[in-house]
Amino acid sequence: MSDVVVRCSGISRTYQEESVPVQALQDVDFEVCKGEFISLAGPSGSGKSTLLNIIGGLDRPDKGDVEVAGVKLNDLNESELSDLRLQKMGFVFQAYNLIPVLSARENVEFIMQLQGVSPAERASRATAVLEQLGVEGMADRRPGELSGGQQQRVAVARAIVTRPVLLLADEPSANLDSATTRELLEMLRTLNETHGVTIVAATHDPIVMSYARRQVNLRDGRIVEDKQNEAA
Amino acid sequence: MPFKLLLQLGWRNLFRHKRRNFMLLLAICVAVAGVVVMNSLIRGFQFDMQEAAVANLTGHVKMLAPGYLDDPNIEKSFTLVKDWQPHLPGVELEGWAPRIRIPAVIMSERETRGIQLVGIDPARENISFLDKVELAGDMLSDADDRRVVIGKELARQLETEVGRRLVIITQGIDGRNREAGFRIAGTFDADGKGLEKLFVFTGVTALQNLVDAEVITEVSIKVVSQLDESLAQQGLADSFLDLDVLSWQQLEPQAAAMFVFADSAIFIWFLVMMGALIFGLMNTLITAVMERIKEFGMLRAVGMRPRAVVVQVVVESTLIMLVGVVSGTLIGWLLVLWLSDGGIDLSAYAQGVELAGMRSVLMPRLLVEDLLLVSSLSLVFGILAALYPARRAVKINPLEALRR
Repeated sequence: MSDVVVRCSGISRTYQEESVPVQALQDVDFEVCKGEFISLAGPSGSGKSTLLNIIGGLDRPDKGDVEVAGVKLNDLNESELSDLRLQKMGFVFQAYNLIPVLSARENVEFIMQLQGVSPAERASRATAVLEQLGVEGMADRRPGELSGGQQQRVAVARAIVTRPVLLLADEPSANLDSATTRELLEMLRTLNETHGVTIVAATHDPIVMSYARRQVNLRDGRIVEDKQNEAA
Repeated sequence: MPFKLLLQLGWRNLFRHKRRNFMLLLAICVAVAGVVVMNSLIRGFQFDMQEAAVANLTGHVKMLAPGYLDDPNIEKSFTLVKDWQPHLPGVELEGWAPRIRIPAVIMSERETRGIQLVGIDPARENISFLDKVELAGDMLSDADDRRVVIGKELARQLETEVGRRLVIITQGIDGRNREAGFRIAGTFDADGKGLEKLFVFTGVTALQNLVDAEVITEVSIKVVSQLDESLAQQGLADSFLDLDVLSWQQLEPQAAAMFVFADSAIFIWFLVMMGALIFGLMNTLITAVMERIKEFGMLRAVGMRPRAVVVQVVVESTLIMLVGVVSGTLIGWLLVLWLSDGGIDLSAYAQGVELAGMRSVLMPRLLVEDLLLVSSLSLVFGILAALYPARRAVKINPLEALRR
């Protein structure tokens, strides 16, 4: 299928925690199609973050194959994985992880600098995406001068400004109140529906799950439920 | 490689932990300024010693009769053709001086001393220390002047003074002693009592008359640029195959060895200072990397290549070093300027200073090549200091870093 963005086949991952093996994922098969908005849900230790990290090339499975945007991740070295993440993926982290010495605009632009985008195009795309996310007025402020919600918006702006094939979000609402979480999710839904951005979010927040159109529940390293969310 | 971005991040990070980076910059400044000042003092000592060696009747190059150095006497002499001039193509000369220099005994009414009796043409002695000494009384008027100029210390030891007569005994060309009376024209106050006790000057023609031979024992040559020393030596050696043509390094091997040692001392001092500094810099960089472990994790996660992470840490280290080196060099330069105003008075240690062949006032000397060497090597050290922290940064697992 040409519109499959992520394909995980029989992936397993075991961690050593204080010499005790912990099976984080067990023989998981999982696919994400273009334009989907998926929530990976489950209790702590269920394997949702591990699955997200393996899809993002931040972690490698002990067994099984992972393919993102037609590229098999298992065969790539660290530099090639870095390039793939840079060119094809966007990340939204729980703790925003903005660079404190750069302004909001510079935080959005720096990832395009890594890609080698020209200064004029960087400026125009950064302005557009900051406007789209409603933080253009804070463009010259540094992260320390922004609220949690504003920082998360800038983080989303940074993640989508490169027009990624896949947006991965790890507990994006963990540090936000309910109202700000809803604002963020409305924004993600708009990006998904109007711009066709494929989103996979690992979460245990019911509000995030309610916005995703497909809910994948994990428990003990296995997918126990994979359903469409009609209410979303 | 987005070098501009890394440069921007590096520069901004300089101001991230202002107090810590300020202390580090201060340490770099002090170390670099210390190296600059110390280098200038060692250079001052080095060139002082060299100038003293050259000025003490040696010159950059000297022609001597074979065997004179082992047994300096009038028999080891030579003659120059009338109106001889050194002809050295491509070499600019500061001056040259023919002399007779022979051992002699000098007597006053009360004391007797062994000395070096030197026959000179006073008009040509602009290349020796005689040109700079303080003189009580008169200098010799010309090469025919039959009076003597003696050192102030010798005058004190002989209990004599300007205008009084002295008797000098030396060997003539026939091997027999010659004895003559000389009136003291003046006494010189040299930078060191050794010179004052050793040398007694009279006109070269007058001394030739005393020894009954129109000969000289040496010709000293001083070049404008030291780079021409070997060219001058070779040129003279080619023209005077039957004479020894020696450089000041051959004539003053101790001073020459000290000159080379000073170069090493500069480098050793630099290594000690920078060696101490590099650990401070490394420690600070490791702290900076560990504090920003999450940031480095994020950078790796969003696609920054491992090599770019290394470059970022190196850029930050280089920037800190650059700012520190520029400030330190400036401070060092200002300190050297301040010290150059009158120099450092070492007269309290006059005896030791004289033994080392130095003057009693040490003038610091700042060489552009030293500044460039210190600056460039400091930056190299900055880069080297960054390699280990950079390795730590690149080994950060982005996943683990983001979990913190």
